[in-house]
Amino acid sequence: MHFTRGSIRAFASVISARLKPNLMEVAGALMVALLAATAIGAPYLAPYDPAAAVANSFGDPAPPSRAFPLGTDELGRDVLSRLIWGARISLEVGLAAMAVTLAIGVIVGLLAGFFGGLTDFVLMRLTDIMLSFPTLLLAMAFVTVLHPSLLTILLVIGLVSWTGVARVVRAETLSLAQRDFVTAARSLGAGPARLIAIHILPNVMPLIVVMAVLGTSSTLLLDAGLSFLGLGVPPPTPSWGRMIEEATTYFRTAPWLAVFPGLAIFSAVLGFNLLGYGYLRRTAPRRSL
Amino acid sequence: MGLLRFSSLSALLLLVPLLGCGRGNDALQLPPNARILHLASLDDIPTLDPAAGYDTASWTFEQMIFDTLVRYSDAGVDLVPDLATSWQESADARTFTFHLRRNATFTNGRAVTSADLRYEIERVLTPATRSKGIEYYRDIIGAEAFVAGRASTVSGIETPDPWTIIFHLAAADPIFLDKLAMPFAAAVPREAAQKWGDDFSRHVIGSGPFMLRQWRSGQQIVLVRNPHYFDPSLPRLDAIVMQLGVDPELEWLKFQAGDLDISAIPPAEFPYVMKTPRLRNLTLHITTLSTDYLGMNCRMKPFDDVRVRQAFNYAIRKPKLIAILNGRGVAASGILPPGLPGYDPGIRGYPFDPAKARALLEAAGVGRNFAPTLWLRADQQEITLAESVQQDLAQVGVHLILKPVAWSALLEAIRQPHTVEFFSLGWEADFPDPQNFLEVLFARRQWGSNNDSFYANPRVDQLLDEAAPLSDRARRYALYDEAQQLILGDAPWVVLYYPVTYVIRQPWVHNYILNPLRPTRFDRVWLAPHPHETP
Repeated sequence: MHFTRGSIRAFASVISARLKPNLMEVAGALMVALLAATAIGAPYLAPYDPAAAVANSFGDPAPPSRAFPLGTDELGRDVLSRLIWGARISLEVGLAAMAVTLAIGVIVGLLAGFFGGLTDFVLMRLTDIMLSFPTLLLAMAFVTVLHPSLLTILLVIGLVSWTGVARVVRAETLSLAQRDFVTAARSLGAGPARLIAIHILPNVMPLIVVMAVLGTSSTLLLDAGLSFLGLGVPPPTPSWGRMIEEATTYFRTAPWLAVFPGLAIFSAVLGFNLLGYGYLRRTAPRRSL
Repeated sequence: MGLLRFSSLSALLLLVPLLGCGRGNDALQLPPNARILHLASLDDIPTLDPAAGYDTASWTFEQMIFDTLVRYSDAGVDLVPDLATSWQESADARTFTFHLRRNATFTNGRAVTSADLRYEIERVLTPATRSKGIEYYRDIIGAEAFVAGRASTVSGIETPDPWTIIFHLAAADPIFLDKLAMPFAAAVPREAAQKWGDDFSRHVIGSGPFMLRQWRSGQQIVLVRNPHYFDPSLPRLDAIVMQLGVDPELEWLKFQAGDLDISAIPPAEFPYVMKTPRLRNLTLHITTLSTDYLGMNCRMKPFDDVRVRQAFNYAIRKPKLIAILNGRGVAASGILPPGLPGYDPGIRGYPFDPAKARALLEAAGVGRNFAPTLWLRADQQEITLAESVQQDLAQVGVHLILKPVAWSALLEAIRQPHTVEFFSLGWEADFPDPQNFLEVLFARRQWGSNNDSFYANPRVDQLLDEAAPLSDRARRYALYDEAQQLILGDAPWVVLYYPVTYVIRQPWVHNYILNPLRPTRFDRVWLAPHPHETP
């Protein structure tokens, strides 16, 4: 078959369109990078100790001022410093919980999709059962039983959010397992472990990356929700959800206490979502998750 | 919790128009221009039966429907006549004689006599009644035999004539009068209580200033004026209508709309109310007979060292806590709250002195890695206060870990020895007497019960035993004061503050008086003409 010049040019433009990051992706990447930089540089960026009383605003939060650009809260703590340290906690919980989610979801999805039959049936019914519980309620129940700490929070968030990943990975594995290159490898004597690890997993990888990025935003939200309900990382560790919860008492007299952590959660979630969907639109325009 | 609250709020908003017509009281047969006090509450009233009720909501209405021999004055904890016009207490605090007023009648028309008072106490003492008040009257001679079913009446209660009742006690009890001021000891007509049995709560008949007109569970309860009340000038209201099932947020909105005359102030609105002069001027507040404190387990290391406990007392900034509470507390120096008889205003307590705290901790050999765990109730305000304590202790090198747990779990844990080293709690008086704090909370025999700090001092125990039977108030309070000073020196607690309760009332509400120990009485409340009156 001979390519015409025109068709080569068309092919090249498709390739370059696929390689060139779009606006969504760039914006998302910048926001995530900013969040990561804030989290990593927290000790250097935060002007004050986030747990210590640095202003005399007890019971009467002070509005933004020159010394405290985002004001101080009812315990005399600097809101900006708490917000900056909160980025660290949010990102830590968000990423670690995502790792737990992926670990469970990918394993369940690969096993179910590759082996099919009874394995598939059992694992997928388990997934359906997990899906039928409201996520937040299930997470609340787990945290209450296990007592809140950084480790339990991220484990619990992982435990309640793996189902989506498992379903998508299973669907992809099912179709990959029927492909010729897998059949070829199998006929050459490759065992299940080798087939999954060398032939299937690398092909599911792009999808997993997208799910990880998009999923991080929902784990961030779940963490904020749990913190808001008083079940997050215990005080005095600053977390954005807890900051909003503590601000409810002063919402009418000191709204900035709730507004700034709210904006922080909003931008972090938006950043991950833009990055994830932007990447998805570029690599798989017709696929939706 | 926030989520649940919002959803129940919206559900209520839908329901209210259906229940509605709170102001149109045709079914209640109230006269036009009736002066009605409008209230609201989230929870239903548990009961109106004085033998059964043992909570604020029940007592709010029981004390308006029934009369006791003596009661507390409107604003204080001094006892004033109710059904009894006069009484005598023997010098050994074992015999109490009451003379009854002759013009009191039940709302069924029958006169109130000494037999009705005897009947109610015997009803409380009958095990089948399952009254929580049974413990308070066991010291009456013959009560044990009656409880065990070996006697048909309590021999220690004498009713020589319809207007006299005499109680003989097996042991001296200087606070027996206070026990008779509890609704458990109200005058109850035997004929009504026996006719309705367990259903008496729904068909209560008493002799108090108000009587029950309507009670729809979870919707509303209506009390109307008793026209035959022994004081013809009272009550000054025609009716009290309390809407039930009203969320605190909704209660607040209804108050602002003028639909309610009295309201609690939701925590989230409190700073706003205090910053708005128009609203702040409508608030009423009272320091309750309670003390909030941090307890330290004297049997667990390193809190077994008095220097560590004293160091904690020096390290915590109480005025900061009061500021965080927006004034809903008074900084505490002693265990007994002001307003409690026997309170000693001379006690200065521990000043805020972090340098001294650091020196004491060093002397006790507590290293830099000291990280005790503070157990507390999982409640936003409790956690905020604990974070303040955490900040203060960090200043003296102690890294406090917070452990918020459910209320019932906390109560269960602190009773176990060697389990909870440091905890945040409060104690509220049942009776206006130092015994109710000092003996209940610090006696050696209360280990595993209410002595949660597992404190023991033989000299304190001796003083408590010596003071308990004394009816000579001056001597009694002096002994309790000595015990209190010893306990403060041993420092099993960091006393934090005495809680202050706030309510808000409309400008047309008069004589709404808060009491440090009991719910507000409505008999003297009156309403000036106002724009929200019943048409």
